[in-house]
Formats: sequence, structure tokens, C-alpha cells
Amino acid sequence: MSDTNNVLEIRDVTVHFGGRGGLLGKAGPVVKAVNGVNLDIGRGETVALVGESGCGKSTLSNTIVGLQPPNSGSVRIGGEEVVGADRRKLNDIRRKVQMIFQDPALSLDPRSTIGATIAEPLIVRRIAKGKALTERVAMLLQQVGLRPEHADRYPHQFSGGQRQRVVIARALALEPDLVICDEPVSALDVSVRAQVLNLLVALQKRMGVSYLFVSHDLGVVRHICDRVVVMYLGRFVEMADRDTFFSSPKHPYTRALMSAVPEADPMIQRSKERIILHGELPSPANMPSGCPFHTRCPLATEICSEVRPELTPRPDGALVACHHA
Amino acid sequence: MNTATFAIRQRIRRVPLSVIVVSTLLLVIVLLAILAPWIAPADPAKQNLLARLKPPGFELRGITYWLGTDDLGRDLLSRTLYGAGVSLSVAILSVVVSTLLGVTLGMVAGWFRGKIEVIIMRLVDIMMSIPAILLAVLTVAVLGPGFLKLVLVLGLTRWPRYTRVAYAQTLQVANLPFIKASELAGAGAARILFHHILPNIAGPVLIVTTAEFGLMILMEAGLSFLGLGIQPPAASWGSIMSVGRQYLERAWWIVAFPGACLFLLVFSVNVLGDWLRDQLDPRSRSR
Repeated sequence: MSDTNNVLEIRDVTVHFGGRGGLLGKAGPVVKAVNGVNLDIGRGETVALVGESGCGKSTLSNTIVGLQPPNSGSVRIGGEEVVGADRRKLNDIRRKVQMIFQDPALSLDPRSTIGATIAEPLIVRRIAKGKALTERVAMLLQQVGLRPEHADRYPHQFSGGQRQRVVIARALALEPDLVICDEPVSALDVSVRAQVLNLLVALQKRMGVSYLFVSHDLGVVRHICDRVVVMYLGRFVEMADRDTFFSSPKHPYTRALMSAVPEADPMIQRSKERIILHGELPSPANMPSGCPFHTRCPLATEICSEVRPELTPRPDGALVACHHA
Repeated sequence: MNTATFAIRQRIRRVPLSVIVVSTLLLVIVLLAILAPWIAPADPAKQNLLARLKPPGFELRGITYWLGTDDLGRDLLSRTLYGAGVSLSVAILSVVVSTLLGVTLGMVAGWFRGKIEVIIMRLVDIMMSIPAILLAVLTVAVLGPGFLKLVLVLGLTRWPRYTRVAYAQTLQVANLPFIKASELAGAGAARILFHHILPNIAGPVLIVTTAEFGLMILMEAGLSFLGLGIQPPAASWGSIMSVGRQYLERAWWIVAFPGACLFLLVFSVNVLGDWLRDQLDPRSRSR
């Protein structure tokens, strides 16, 4: 089961919130944010995690980086178990996973120069100091297309795209195996998105880093990912290689997502089949019985409300959790 | 190096006039307080019952009482000069004590959450529900009066305001992604609190500090008035004023001069604090 070529191996991870009685002894509802998911990411691979807000994407990424311990399941990074590891070991493992956040304006300390920000992981882990540290920071800045003399400036003196480059430099400072990109370009101007994406791709080629790319922008996903995972209400509903995924989406939820992506060509756009989902995303505190999607699914039949479909392989290699697709 | 000195010169040139004025004023007050023993025209404790409640400019046996005399015939100018040192040091020291204590507790409560948060914040609620002056009176009554005790009492009873502000700000800042990034970098709680959270909450805390500074001088005055602060014959602005209050109709100067000094001091501190807060923010520093 454990393949050392995999940077990340997640088994049956479940994350629940609440439920415990508070100070007044009243137990709140249990929010099942992540419900038994499995995921492997290989070295140098880019996996997209797609889903609407509230589906558990952020919780899952927090669990992977170790900021949110799971209720059950196993998270292995580079073959080493994160769940239940003691603090020192956890810190060691964490070094291999870093994160890039959605809003670069909020992910840099406004009171620290960007040099200090990039240097922090190196200082805290006693990897470099003095002149060697300055050189490392200068090198990292150059790698992301900034100039070494920018190190003395503050985040507010940079544009959004430049700030995201700084965030990338900080994430790469520890030479991680896996970088979780949480909507890394959705807060950026469309004009600089491609630049940042291309930088991520170029850095991956040079350093062999893997990405878990959390996004709801299927256009971006198509541009840079090898594999796509669709998440709905804390579960994976479809998992497939990029080409299979985009040429033949299978789960009705995936198809609805796809149909919402606007096409550049108005002719294609008009002829496109539109699947409109009705209703709201059900609350993860009050999960529907059976298939979590049956309340909004256009294909739903009786069995869907009774039996929850498991992810099952299809002839073209895709894994889909649906009775009908 | 040259660019650095240039930058500093540029920054100084952009200091507003009001800040230059209040800084000078503060400097003068502090200097006068320090130099009081050498420049005071008379012994601040020396009574002269023949010269009670005399107006400013009154002369007796070749001595001019520039600010008049108090109810025991003591030279008001000398008392005000000596009182400056007492008032300033009580205010500065107690503000330092309560800021250190309050901000640390607030950050700890906001960062660690859980039980420690409940304990600290309920303690704050309890402290704030008791009138500050009553709390101070009770503490002094137990500990007894004295300069250091006064500082401790004020410092140890005034921290909850800082804690509330620091706590609320910490909650806000702790959720920002750059704190998460620091955790991922491997930074421990101490580094995150003092490297990332403290600089980002310093602005609002500084505002509380400047407001409290004036309040501390007034609290000291109140306690001294009740006989629980600075013990006579030593003078502080507060104690001079509280005595003068009884003679307000006959001798307005007893209250007026220390009062004016107090006003100028608190005003200067507030203006300076406001400007300092802006300077602490790198966003306002460069164009």
C-alpha cells in the first residue's frame, strides 16, 4: 500500500467539527466537513481539488498541512504518518508540505519586509543565518522573478501578482515535496493569472515539487493539472485524469460544474447543454441520507436516497461515485 | 548608507508642526521635572502662614511667588515643579506595568483560546465590573500608601482595558493567512505572538496607552486626594489640585496652574501617540 514514490497518501480521513458540549453543556450539531476520503499524490504531480465553497476543500488542505488534526484516518507525507506524530516529528514532516494562499494581500505580514518573510522558515528551522541567509533569500527572490534588492520592501509596495510571487518564494524556501495551492490565482487580476500559473509550472519542472491545487476555476485546472478530484459535501464524487475528466465527465455534479464554465466561442456557448442545479448545498451538519448529492441531482431515483454510492472504477480509468453515471 | 540617511532626513522633514510643538512641550515638562531641585525658587514643603492663599506675583521679604501660594503659604511654583516629577513617574511606570501585563494576557487569551481564554477574559470582566477607584482604594487600604505601591496598584488594576483590546485584535489577526504561513514555516507561539501579532496590534494598543496615561495622572490625583496616594508634604499635581479645589473661589491659581500643566501634558501625549501610531504602520511611511 505504501508507495514511497507518493508524496502524499491519505486514507479514510474524516474531520468533524462541534458536537462536543460547550461551557453550557449544550451539544451543537456535528459538522462533517470531510468524510472518509482517500487520495494519493505522486512526485511531481499536480492534482486539482474542485468543489463549491463549503464542500470541505479548505478543511482537507488544513488537515494535510497538519493544522487541523483529523478525527480518524491516516495522512502520510513522504511515507511518514502525520496523524498522532509527536510535536518534533510533526514539525519535521511539515517541512515537506507548504501552502500558497488565496489572497496574497493577507498572506504576508504587513509589518515584515518581504525579505524577513521569506527568511522566516529558514531562521526558525535554523537552516541558514547571516550571509548565507541573505544569499538564500536573494536566490529565492530571483527564482520567482523578483529582484534581490526587493528584500527590504514591505508587502504594500508590491502589486498583487508580485505579492503572490513572494508567497511562492516563502513556500519554496524549505524545498517542500508538496505545495498546497489554495485558489492561488482567484484573487489576482486576470492579466497576471497566467504569469503566476506559468511560474508555478516552471518551478515544478525545475524542483520536481507536487501541487495540490484547490480551485473552483475549471479553466485554470485544465491549464495546469494532471488529475482532477471533485469534492461534494466532504466526499470525493469523481476522480480522473485531466483528459478523461474534461472529455467525458461522468458524475452529474461534475457535468453541472462543467456546463457552468463559459466558452469563449458564443456559438459553442449557445449550443452547450446547461445543467442547472436546484436548491442549496445541504448543510454538512445535516447530511442527506444515501448519496449526498441526491437532493439536487437530475438523475436521482429511489436508490439514491437509500444507498450511498462508493467510488467505483470505470472503463476509462475514472473513479465515480454514482448509481447512474 | 547614504540613501538611509536621506530617507531619515526626508521623514523628519515631513513631521507635522503640531508634533514638533507637543514634543518640545513634553521635553520641557520632563526637563523641568528632572531639574526641579535646582530650579525651584523655594522649598516646596516650607510653610509660611503669613503668606496663605496669595495670588501670583505676590512678594514677601524679597521673594516673589510667581504662581502664588497655597493654603499653607507654600510656594505654588516650587510645588508644581516638584509635583511634575511625581505625577510623570507614577503615570509612566503604571502605564508600563499595565501595558506589559494587559497586552501579554490579551495575546495569550486570543492565541491559545480554550480554558486559558475563559479564565483571563472572565477575570477581565470581573475587574472591569468593579469601579477602578474602589478597587484602587481597597488595594491601597490593604497594602498601605507609598510611591511604589501606588504604581503597582494602578498598574495591577488598569490592565483589563489593554487585555480587551489586545485580545480582540489578536483574534482578528490570528485568523489571517500570514499567521498560518508562519505556523507552517515552523514558528513557535512566542515567535508568532511577538514577531507577527504584536506589531500588528500595536496601533490600537498605543491608543489605549495614551488615553490611559492621562487617566493615570488623574487616578493618582484622586487617590492622593483621598490620602491614599502621595503622602503630604510631598506634592503631586493631583494632590495640589485636590487641596486647591476647596479654595477655588478665593484662590483659583492653586487649581489652575497644575491643571493647565496636566492638560498640556495629556494633550501632548495624545497628539504624539496618534502620530506615533501612524509611524508604526509601514503603509503610511512610504508613498
